[in-house]
Amino acid sequence: MGEFGTFLLENLTQFWQLTGFYNATWQHLVMLAVGLFFIWLAIKKDFEPMLLVPIGFGILIGNVPFNTAAGLEVGIYEEGSVLNILYNGVSAGWYPPLIFLGIGAMTDFTALIANPKLMLVGAAAQFGIFGAYMVALALGFMPDQAGSISIIGGADGPTAIFLSSKLAPNLMGAIAVSAYSYMALVPVIQPPIMRLLTTKNERLIKMKPARAVAQSEKILFPIIGMLLTCFVVPSGLPLLGMLFFGNLLRECGVTNRLAKTASNALTDIVTILLGMTVGASTQASTFLTKETIFIFALGFMAFIIASASGVLFVKLFNLILPANKKLNPLIGNAGVSAVPMSSRISNNLGLEYDPSNYLLMHAMGPNVAGVIGSAVAAGVLLGFLA
Amino acid sequence: MRKKHILLVALIACCSVASFAQARKGLRLNEVMVVNEDNFVDDYGQRSAWIELFNSNFAPLEISSVFITNDPANPTKYPVPLGDVNTRIPKRQHIVFWADGKPSRGTFHMNFVLNPEEPNWIGVYDADGRTLIDSITVPPMPYNSTFARKVDGEGTSALDWEVRSGNEGSIITPSSNNVIRDTNKKVDTFARVDANGFGMTVSAMGIVFLALLLLSTCFYIISRIGAKRSQNKKLAAHGINPAEVRRADKPEGDSGEVIAAIAAALNEHLNAHDLESTILTFQKMRKPYSPWSSHIYTLRQMPRK
Repeated sequence: MGEFGTFLLENLTQFWQLTGFYNATWQHLVMLAVGLFFIWLAIKKDFEPMLLVPIGFGILIGNVPFNTAAGLEVGIYEEGSVLNILYNGVSAGWYPPLIFLGIGAMTDFTALIANPKLMLVGAAAQFGIFGAYMVALALGFMPDQAGSISIIGGADGPTAIFLSSKLAPNLMGAIAVSAYSYMALVPVIQPPIMRLLTTKNERLIKMKPARAVAQSEKILFPIIGMLLTCFVVPSGLPLLGMLFFGNLLRECGVTNRLAKTASNALTDIVTILLGMTVGASTQASTFLTKETIFIFALGFMAFIIASASGVLFVKLFNLILPANKKLNPLIGNAGVSAVPMSSRISNNLGLEYDPSNYLLMHAMGPNVAGVIGSAVAAGVLLGFLA
Repeated sequence: MRKKHILLVALIACCSVASFAQARKGLRLNEVMVVNEDNFVDDYGQRSAWIELFNSNFAPLEISSVFITNDPANPTKYPVPLGDVNTRIPKRQHIVFWADGKPSRGTFHMNFVLNPEEPNWIGVYDADGRTLIDSITVPPMPYNSTFARKVDGEGTSALDWEVRSGNEGSIITPSSNNVIRDTNKKVDTFARVDANGFGMTVSAMGIVFLALLLLSTCFYIISRIGAKRSQNKKLAAHGINPAEVRRADKPEGDSGEVIAAIAAALNEHLNAHDLESTILTFQKMRKPYSPWSSHIYTLRQMPRK
């Protein structure tokens, strides 16, 4: 064959050993199937496509098999690789606060300001987090791991990523995927719980339209909100500070350009990077474990407890409210912070029982309170366990 | 306009200076060895007295231009040179200076030595040469012993320091933590004391409720004040004194029904009719439309395909 032929053969053999076909294991194939399933869910079933498409494709990127010993510096965990640089926003925890800036710039807190007592519904739904925390401890997780897993019950992806990147970085991939999966499944998970825990008469309660809110109140809300909540829980500062800052940009009336950028371009860019890198971080070796199954089970349970505790709290609250100020328990599920999906569920269920009973704006109160509540809960967990 | 700009620049400058000063205050004397017989060796293979500084901040700290001294009367005795990248201390990390009297050997070799026979006062001054950042008086100690903070960077009095011999339980740690932690104490404590998570649940939910209750109460008060102010503004626009309205026109327990009944009775009394069968009913008019119950807010449909 000659020297040249041997040289070519050796090169081709070396190249073959670098390919994904040579390095593939069954675990890689399972993860690729998971990524494809997410993309299918997003495109075919319209489940949270903005999140599941980047995460799904990220899973594909992160699970293309290659020879890590070859020093190609392409993997997400290889220092200096492009993916590793992009992943810094997740591992160092600065993507989630940027997302919160966008959420703040998008969110209208009018419903909450008009009816401040709805904030307590948002607080009650955080029982989902701590219920799951207790079960996670019983399953043998350490408190920091249990705290990271249980935050899935807050139904807030950025918060879950932020907290797990600080407390249990090794579980972050599974936690993020679990949180976003269940957020996409909120329309499937919540309605049966809401029906189970309410009577027909309760579902027909019509809430009074709230008062008009002055612009000055809308401007004061993010300022006072940030100061009060962060004075109580300084460890929630990155999330709460950015959330309220974004809202001030929106409401102050003189920074429209900044508010638009924060709520559109910036949020879109960070969502793309966050979703893709979180997906890519779920590599077979760290994802296909017994812990991941527990995390998914605990996340599901946390969602159920959170939704149920919101509904039950409203029923309890109604016992002390005057007859003309009763709340419809169907807004209780919105205490989880899956905005605005859970509010829309409250509204649709309300309309199902009374076509003139629009609950959307009432449900938005506990819904945005849930965002604040879950960020406060994350701050508490971080303060206690970091 | 120019004044406004100058004011803004001055404000930003003040903030920058304040934050810089605050960062420098995080610099701490952390451990001192006066007689070094067979301990830590410098980059020339020599053993001499050393002083460890600790950055107690959670951010890197640049210490060039601060002063280290062993003489209160001469606070600017050894200026830490500018332009050396190694004078940037990472967050919560340490740096060691040699008190060997040989500054020509580099940035970390100071121009004074410590006296093993007497107590040594050591001070660190800020770049202005007047602001004392930290100081300690090191007592005379046996050779190869150090005077070290019990916990890195913590405490303000000499009671927070101890003499360390280098034996087990009394370790000497140049360029390293005085307290070696191999686990997260908080997590261990929670795992031991609150194994079922009940304590965490109660306390954390209490804090979540407290935070949102505070916010809720605050906005309830603000909304009441806002409503009152807007009502007063409306009355004032019509030339009515709000205080008089409150006294005269708003009897306690007032309702529209009562006023309507009185008006109807007066009408009956003043315009006497024959006896007639009359049923008087009241119906409050409701505004039929509210954006809160508008269909347009539900146009975003649930995902289905």
